[in-house]
Amino acid sequence: MVEETAQQIADREMILRIGRGDQAAFSALYDRLSGPLYSLALRMLGDASDAQDLMQDVFLQIWSRAGTYDPEQSSVFSWSVLLTRSRAIDRLRARERRLRVVVGPASDVKPTEAANASIVESGADTVNKNDEAARVRTFLNNLPSEQREAIELAFFGHLTHQEIAERLGHPLGTVKARIRRGLLKLREQLRAEL
Amino acid sequence: MISEEQQDQAALYVLGLLEPHEAAAFESALNANAELRDIARELREAAGNVALTAPPRTPPASLKQRIMREIAMKTEGPAPVSMQRTPFGWIPWAIAAALAVFCGLLTLDRVRLERELAETRAADPLMQTTFFTLAPSAPAPADAKATVAWQPGRQSGVIRISKLPAPQPGKDYQLWAVDAEHKDPISAGVIRVDKNGVAQVRFKPVEKAEHVKAFAISLEREGGVPKKEGPILLVGTA
Repeated sequence: MVEETAQQIADREMILRIGRGDQAAFSALYDRLSGPLYSLALRMLGDASDAQDLMQDVFLQIWSRAGTYDPEQSSVFSWSVLLTRSRAIDRLRARERRLRVVVGPASDVKPTEAANASIVESGADTVNKNDEAARVRTFLNNLPSEQREAIELAFFGHLTHQEIAERLGHPLGTVKARIRRGLLKLREQLRAEL
Repeated sequence: MISEEQQDQAALYVLGLLEPHEAAAFESALNANAELRDIARELREAAGNVALTAPPRTPPASLKQRIMREIAMKTEGPAPVSMQRTPFGWIPWAIAAALAVFCGLLTLDRVRLERELAETRAADPLMQTTFFTLAPSAPAPADAKATVAWQPGRQSGVIRISKLPAPQPGKDYQLWAVDAEHKDPISAGVIRVDKNGVAQVRFKPVEKAEHVKAFAISLEREGGVPKKEGPILLVGTA
């Protein structure tokens, strides 16, 4: 059985109320999640207008799918993040399809600069020890660089695992193991903080 | 006991990196294995947290208003429709059907246009041609100029030069392709102008140049050099 934090329990209660059509609960959940989800959308799409359209799609889905949320599978936060990421990837693929028609063959199309930029920022970002994001950044920075790099490409880069292996110049099996080890180590560190 | 291979699959699954058939197989395994479900949840939580490393941004306040308005509209639902039959009750349905057909036609038209555009690009050499205008730099006369029509697909081009006086004996003009993938400019051959300072020649770089950013003409030793040595006389981008 997975332990839940107080915040995860509060989120779960909010999503239950949203499932029953409670707009006040939806508004509260929006306030809690919109910052990180918007940051993720902007990081992946690199365009504020696209990111806002994506947010609208995602929150409307949260509203309509709240009743199907399964707490056994993930926290509300992770569920929303992965939903946002998946919709962002759909948009990036659609964008690439449009570019292929206008610009040329697929080999010319590179992931956006935004998607390629390193997510690990300077030490100055981790100054605020109480900041959840800074904490995760620190944990990510603590991972061996090859694991961190594989996770970054897998999470933000909208590449297949074969493409990640090609990009990093390592065998597919090595890349899979790095993603798995990195994620498990990250989770271990987060749990130790509970 | 969960094998490392299953854990790898779980990590790729939560990130949506498995192929559809692999994902379906993994989901079957998940349904049958509580321990695997726990690992998948652990990995999902870790992956969710990676999002927090994106540079923090705040969405505009207007976005929340927009979303809340839409939610309110969904909650209220459409206005109740009277079931009482009227003589013209079919009109809104007819308009809706016509609009649906119209939208379908527009979609088909768009797909057709996109396909045609792609075919035209492939068939029409002009649409595969990039034009570069070369302007003079210091040692060249101020009114010297050149235009390059470059076809990356064919790896060849045509250059037209005007008002560039013939070089002194023992020297030649040499054309260079500046390519993003090559450290040094790629030679595209020696070019000889006539007595009026005009040349129009077809050229082909000595190496493959797939990402040409600029063309340049330099003054080199007679017969040309493998690597640029002399001063640039004309240079230009697309």
